[in-house]
Amino acid sequence: MNDMGLIVRTLARATIPLIGIFGAYIVSHGHLTPGGGFQGGATIAGAGILFLIAFGLEEAKKRINKNLYSALEGIGGLVFLGAAMLGLSVAFFYNLLWHKGPILNGHPGSLLSAGYLPIMNLAVGLKVFTGLVSALMAIALYRRWQK
Amino acid sequence: MKKALAFLSLLVIFAALLLATHPDYGIKFGLSGKDWLKYRYTDQYYIEHGIEEVGGTNIVTDIVFDYRGYDTLGEATVLFTAIAGAIALLRPWRRDENE
Repeated sequence: MNDMGLIVRTLARATIPLIGIFGAYIVSHGHLTPGGGFQGGATIAGAGILFLIAFGLEEAKKRINKNLYSALEGIGGLVFLGAAMLGLSVAFFYNLLWHKGPILNGHPGSLLSAGYLPIMNLAVGLKVFTGLVSALMAIALYRRWQK
Repeated sequence: MKKALAFLSLLVIFAALLLATHPDYGIKFGLSGKDWLKYRYTDQYYIEHGIEEVGGTNIVTDIVFDYRGYDTLGEATVLFTAIAGAIALLRPWRRDENE
């Protein structure tokens, strides 16, 4: 009904996975390269917004579950807090996983390094993505000007 | 009259800020050498110790998530509150549902 034409929809089919993969790369390499949770989450949310624009509100309403997105945003925040509380025996925001962690204490520069930083980046990325998509969905569903 | 006064006060604030950012009276830009160690010693500490203390090679992420994690926690809270407020305000009104 209120979706774009065939060319835009086909291009969106091709670019939405690419944007998603690039955003996931930014989030997961937040401790090694520029970017991080907020930037990567906003990039993935851009893919979600492209989906909403290209395929229309009706299709997005079917695919985007409001309760799931609200829950995922809360879970992202809780995972962030949980990662911060890992080293609570020393201090809040003490990077315990880096100093004596099981996995995430590799050589600086490798993917499995930097303690809780990758966990926090993933949590913040999830939070930003779900939050921005649900906010945009709320704005798109707000159509009181039609009367 | 009120608008003219407001504009005048804006001009005064703008002039004061221009003076404050003048290199001869206020803050300096493009610090280097001795000035860098005098005014940016905290940055120097982060650059020197970030990798060994936090582990990430991205110093900005080291600072944002480890040294100053509370700030990021507050930032995430601000985002959460903004989205919760936007969704709460954009819900259908009771008047709309009855139509």
